[in-house]
Amino acid sequence: MTADIAIEERAAAELRREVARQFGRSLHIRTLDTGSCAACEQEIRLLAAPHYDLHRLGFFFTPAPRHADMLLVTGPMIRAFAVAASKTYEAMPEPKLVVATGACALGGVYPDDAFTYGRVDGVLPVDVWIPGCPPSPLALLQGLLVAVGRLAEKVSGLSFIARSPEGAHEDATAGGAA
Amino acid sequence: MPQWFIRGLRRGIVTTRYPGHPDSSVSSLPSPPAFRSEALARPAHQRAAPRPFPPNPYGRGAAPSAATVADLLVAVCPSGALRRDGDTLVFDVGACTACGACRRAAPDAVVSSGEFELAATSRSALVKRIPMTAGAAA
Ligand code: SF4
Ligand code: SF4
Repeated sequence: MTADIAIEERAAAELRREVARQFGRSLHIRTLDTGSCAACEQEIRLLAAPHYDLHRLGFFFTPAPRHADMLLVTGPMIRAFAVAASKTYEAMPEPKLVVATGACALGGVYPDDAFTYGRVDGVLPVDVWIPGCPPSPLALLQGLLVAVGRLAEKVSGLSFIARSPEGAHEDATAGGAA
Repeated sequence: MPQWFIRGLRRGIVTTRYPGHPDSSVSSLPSPPAFRSEALARPAHQRAAPRPFPPNPYGRGAAPSAATVADLLVAVCPSGALRRDGDTLVFDVGACTACGACRRAAPDAVVSSGEFELAATSRSALVKRIPMTAGAAA
């Protein structure tokens, strides 16, 4: 398992370098709803509102997969949609990024059953995972910046162990690797 | 002169300065729980309450019977984000919906982590192992 993680992390670092080179300044996003409850979409929509203003960071939404650098996927990937999702991915020009958004897409809400895959990574190759149900616009923003290599991933250093009633936040932040 | 222009000047810039500077709303964002190791192995005093709405038709999270606080948390989590692995509580941050059910069930063992910057470049980085006894941590 450790070796797997090491390989995964090396590949991720390589991708980050390449992505930062290509997309460091401007990136177009195509959102893809694979069966979400639409709360994730609401939060994504808010990214373009004045308070978050993601255009200041060089991110733009595009309706066309052929113009998109990143696929922002929400929902648990219902089986009926898998072909459409794969075609969307194939239509995008290289290099491309897939970001799985929300607990649905990460496997937390629906099981793998006759109707859904329960998670996105069975169908699309996911590069960045954004937890939350729904992730707040700030969490999405951090995810986007992690995806383009402009912000370092933080969660791998968090332990989610709290030690005292007062110092919960500090402990969770300062904890060692799990 | 249009009212909105005056109002805009008075209010100033509303756009967040994140990521350069922290955003003022961070403390009110939903965040996944953090667990207190020393409290997890204690016997659970209450039975896990029946799962609230929505009922989970897939039976994840097993039957609500709990010997320790950790078992209680596993039983109440509606998204299967928690499971027990021997003396470890395995917490999948990716599956957590920050619903707060675990915190309501065991307020002395669970606190809010206050973290919202959770994006990961590997799925396994989101699976955290929480030792169930104090001292074994870190
Ligand atoms: S992750 Fe939560 S908010 Fe997002 S689509 Fe799924 S259920 Fe809705
Ligand atoms: S009960 Fe809710 S808040 Fe607690 S771990 Fe499960 S999903 Fe997360």
